[in-house]
Amino acid sequence: MRQVSTRSEERRKARQGGGSDMTRFYWVLAAVAVVGMIVVGYGLSGGGSAATEPVDLAGVEEDMGALISLAQGITLGDENAPLTIAEFGDYQCPGCREFSLGVKPQLDFAFVQKGLVKFVFYDFPLISIHAHAFLAARASRCALDQGKYWEYHEALFTNQSRWAGMSEVVGTFVGYAGEVGMDEDEFGTCLRSDKYADVVTANMRLAMELGLTGTPTVMVSQGQGMARRVQRYDFPSIQAVVEEMLAQGGN
Amino acid sequence: MTADLRPPANRMAIALLSLAGAFVAFYLFAHALGWTGPIVCGVGDCATVQASSYAKVGPIPVAAIGLAGYMFLLGMALLGLQPAYAASRVVSGALVAASSVALAFSAYLTYLEAAVIHAWCQWCVVSAILVVLIFLFSLPEVGRLRQSPARGHP
Repeated sequence: MRQVSTRSEERRKARQGGGSDMTRFYWVLAAVAVVGMIVVGYGLSGGGSAATEPVDLAGVEEDMGALISLAQGITLGDENAPLTIAEFGDYQCPGCREFSLGVKPQLDFAFVQKGLVKFVFYDFPLISIHAHAFLAARASRCALDQGKYWEYHEALFTNQSRWAGMSEVVGTFVGYAGEVGMDEDEFGTCLRSDKYADVVTANMRLAMELGLTGTPTVMVSQGQGMARRVQRYDFPSIQAVVEEMLAQGGN
Repeated sequence: MTADLRPPANRMAIALLSLAGAFVAFYLFAHALGWTGPIVCGVGDCATVQASSYAKVGPIPVAAIGLAGYMFLLGMALLGLQPAYAASRVVSGALVAASSVALAFSAYLTYLEAAVIHAWCQWCVVSAILVVLIFLFSLPEVGRLRQSPARGHP
C-alpha cells in the first residue's frame, strides 16, 4: 500500500515538473515570437532608406584611386576610341533629358558609331532638388544587370515628366523595366535592395571631387589626358571641341 | 520505476528554432513579394542572392518553401509536446524526415551561395544554422522510432 502511494506521488511530482517545464517553454516561445515580430516589423517598414539616398562609402572617398575604381561610368561605343565624351547626368534633370534624347543621338551618329569617340555616362543625382534621382540612377544600374542599360536609360528620360512628379516610383520603374524587355521580378528585387547604392554614391562623390555643381556636365578628354569641360551642352559646341581635339591628334 | 512524463526537451528546442526560422523565412518571403523596402543586410550581399535565379523554384520563392517547412516542423514539435503524442511514432518520423529534407535543401542552397552565386545573404546563413540545429535536436527521435511502438499511439 505504501509502495503504491509512493509511485502515485512520484507520478504527480513528475507531472508537476512537466507542467512547469511547459509553462517556461511557452514563455520562451512567446519571447521568440515577440522578438521575431519586432525584427520582421522593422524589415517590413523599410529597414533603412539607403536605396534612395547616398550611403557611407567607408572611407573610399578619401582615396581617389579607389573612388574612381568604384565610380564606374557606363560606356557606349568602342573602349579604345581616341576620345571620350563624359556626361555627368541626373535622370530627373530636364536639361539631361534634352541632352540625352536630343544631343546624344547626334554624337552617337557622328562620332561614337565611327569609333572616334566613346560616350561614358556618370550618375550625378542632385538629391537636394530631385527626390527620385538617386533611385533612378540605381534603377539604371539594375538594368545593366540584364544588359538593357541604354534602353532603360532612354526609357527613364523619355518618361521623365511622368514619374518626376510622383510620390512613389518603384512600381513605375519596374513597369518601365518590363517595357524594355527585362525580367520585372529580377529588376524589382534589385531596385528594392541597396544594390548599387555605393556605386551611385561614388559617382556623386567623384563629380563633387571634380568640382561639378550642375547637370548635365559634359567633358571631352583624350586618352588619360586632362578633360576639357564643354560650357554648353548643345551638339555644335561639343562637335567643335571634339573635332578640334581629333585634329590635334586624337585620331 | 517512474514513467518519464516530462515533455521532451529536444522537441521544445525544435519548436523554438522553427519559430525563429519561420520569422526569417517570412521576412525573405515578404521581400520576394515586394512588401518590404531594401532588404536589411548588415553582412553579405543579400540583394545579389535574392535577385539570383536560384531564389525561386519555378514560380515559388525559396523563402516560401522555407516558411512552409518551418511551420510544419513547428506544428509537429508542438504536437509532440502534448502528452497524448509524447510517444507518437508519426511525430518522431515526421520530425526526422522533415529536418533531414531541410538539412539537404539548406546544404544545397549554401553550396549555391558559395560556388555559383558567389555572394552570401546573412538571413540565408542564419536559416542554415537554424536548420543544422533543428536536425541535431531531431536525432533523439531516431531512438524513439527504434523503440517498440507504445500502445495507443500510431
